[in-house]
Amino acid sequence: MVALDTEPRAPVRTGTARRRRTPVTWVRGGGLTTLLFFLPLLLSFTLFSWWPIARSLVLSLQQTNFIVTEWVGLENFQRVLADPLLGTAVWNTTVFTLIALLIGFPVPLLLAVFVAELRRTRGLASVLAYLPVVIPPVVAVLLWKTFYRPDDAGLFNTVLGRVGLGPFQWLNSGDMVIPAIVVQATWASFGTAVIIYLAALMTIRTELYESAEIDGAGVVRRFWHVTLPQLRGILLIMLLLQLIGTFQVFTEPYIMTGGGPENRSLTVLLLIYRYAFVSGDYGRATALSLLLALALGVLSAAYLWATRRWSSS
Amino acid sequence: MTRRYVRLSTTLAITLTTALSVTACGDDSEPSSGGGPADPDAPVTISVSNMPTTEFPEQREAFERRLDEFAADHENITVEAQEIEWEADTFQAMLAGGTMPTVMQVPFTEIGALISRGQVADVTDHLGETDALDRLSPTVMEVVTDGEDRVWGVPIAAYTMGLLYNRSLFEQAGLDPDAPPQTWDDVRAAAQAIDAGTDAQGFATMTLDNTGGWILTTMSYAFGSTLESDDGGTATVDNPATESVLDFYRSLRWDDDAMGSNFLLNYDDAVNAFASGQVGMLVQGADNYSNMVVNRGMPAEDFGVAPLPQADDGIGTLGGGTIAVVNPRATPEEIAAALEWIDFYHFQKYTDETVAVANAEASAADGLAIGAPELPVVDAELYAQYLDWIAAEVNVPRENFELYLSTVEEVPLIPEPAVKAQELYATLDTVVQAVLTREDADIAQLLGDAQSTHQAAIDAG
Repeated sequence: MVALDTEPRAPVRTGTARRRRTPVTWVRGGGLTTLLFFLPLLLSFTLFSWWPIARSLVLSLQQTNFIVTEWVGLENFQRVLADPLLGTAVWNTTVFTLIALLIGFPVPLLLAVFVAELRRTRGLASVLAYLPVVIPPVVAVLLWKTFYRPDDAGLFNTVLGRVGLGPFQWLNSGDMVIPAIVVQATWASFGTAVIIYLAALMTIRTELYESAEIDGAGVVRRFWHVTLPQLRGILLIMLLLQLIGTFQVFTEPYIMTGGGPENRSLTVLLLIYRYAFVSGDYGRATALSLLLALALGVLSAAYLWATRRWSSS
Repeated sequence: MTRRYVRLSTTLAITLTTALSVTACGDDSEPSSGGGPADPDAPVTISVSNMPTTEFPEQREAFERRLDEFAADHENITVEAQEIEWEADTFQAMLAGGTMPTVMQVPFTEIGALISRGQVADVTDHLGETDALDRLSPTVMEVVTDGEDRVWGVPIAAYTMGLLYNRSLFEQAGLDPDAPPQTWDDVRAAAQAIDAGTDAQGFATMTLDNTGGWILTTMSYAFGSTLESDDGGTATVDNPATESVLDFYRSLRWDDDAMGSNFLLNYDDAVNAFASGQVGMLVQGADNYSNMVVNRGMPAEDFGVAPLPQADDGIGTLGGGTIAVVNPRATPEEIAAALEWIDFYHFQKYTDETVAVANAEASAADGLAIGAPELPVVDAELYAQYLDWIAAEVNVPRENFELYLSTVEEVPLIPEPAVKAQELYATLDTVVQAVLTREDADIAQLLGDAQSTHQAAIDAG
């Protein structure tokens, strides 16, 4: 998939003719060893990524029960686009992604800046921030499902009840279900972002802060004029990764709500899952997978194009 | 420019790789026709699923003993046993990868879809080669028979949907556990009493993963209507009986507040809540004794099961159970051998006292329930004889299921919707969720929408 648009350049030789590359020179040059080391990677990618992708492409044009297979052209795509649930799923997923960006993007950054300021307890703080990531996702989601219990006995309702709020319906409420899932998902994943930002923060030269301080910049202006511009490369790529990641949210709604109530937390991936494993309709499932991949690809390309000025520093 | 191009390609590659999570690798070889004549003496090898795991050593040993006995009786048939069990998530992959065992056990709820997708073998022409069919109960056989009288599997265990109730909660609420509710008004009154007199909620119904629609369908039968025409061509979701069921839910939920507070319940949530005494009544498979008592630790004396109450127009109840199906790629010889095995392993206990007693002893030694309520898959006479043989091994309080056991054959068994049952259940899940989570839910509107959604699904073919 990764393509370079330049030919491999031969070393520039003066005085002698360019020597032709033959299999013999390739082997002598260590080509065989390179290939040997490359092979496991190549094989595992082919077997577990590229082959399934190719198969999906084929399956999306077929109707199959895995015994008899029939080519149906674009019918699967038509059936996906005609499904009234598709609109619901796309809307829910978009709302999820936007709220996840709103909460999930600034929180780890601010936390990383805060942790970076700590001296003695920085290690401890990073460990604490990263801890939720270590908990297996299914366990974490099930744990939060009980936290969100809608009666008085739920953890959140108990705590909020102490200050006279609630009880809230959380996952049982069509309006609260997506924000509630976003909070859980953010909690579960922000540790990784904190660690990455922290690493990036460590590479910012301290002289920049010193000279800003001499120029009279306060904490906020130093963050705005030094930290953010220095992190922009990593911020841009993290934003893109988060966009792609959150658009494919599955585990949380699958375990917490099954898409309910009334499909208010049905996401695109959950719909794909239902096509494949509830209806046994792999043609439709792969067609929607391809449409999702295409949409994310276009979105990513547009994003990279729109931010090309900022990213090429 | 190059760098951006590389980055873009990488991104696209990542996107493609992650987004295409649902794929499968397949072997698209043509199926063999299941209908041809089989040579009864040709050497043949079949594989069978559901071998007891090492967690149940006595049963496993009994299974292996039966394997040896089968081998001695059928010299030309080699049986390879596997521990594989049915899972909706893995079945298609097994089929695609060619690793589906020759004989596989699947739940009643799946058979309709498997038949319509052509993912099980037609066993009709081979049934005559064993005695199995003659002994099977016709009600149960309907589940595996299509409109053209072709048979697609052999039911090996069955149950009817009933009303599960917690006997201890009944007592605490001042109700008589030996006189379970027999009308839906009784159910509502009992739910109110349990809610008022105990810490538990009176009634619960599942709402997720198609179970909400499954139970709504069952309840609709009890209130007087199916949800599809008999041929499956027309959706009849919008009918007065289903509306009454939803109204019944609405009263229990919003007028009586007797259904607790969590309305996103899947199967495990609901049975765990029932087994742990948090729920007074639940519409579920009447075969749940083992699941509740043996698997989930409910006190045996608390488990009660009553027949599903029938409204005046009630037409019956839904059935459930396990069906032995045959791999659609099996050759005629393999199908014949598969049926020999099914007959030998699952039905000999009804005709051979030694086998019946040995099986029951092994199960009892592993701590499993013997004599729990079920719907006989063989005729009443054979079943009574079987119960007589294993009487000494019965380890469940059958007197607590008196009403269910004495009427199990009287409540008509209504099959699942013929076309796209799982899709229908998924559509109905949201209807049930709406009624339970929104006080202002418009039942007529919800049913109207579900009707058009399901009709569209049927028409889409």
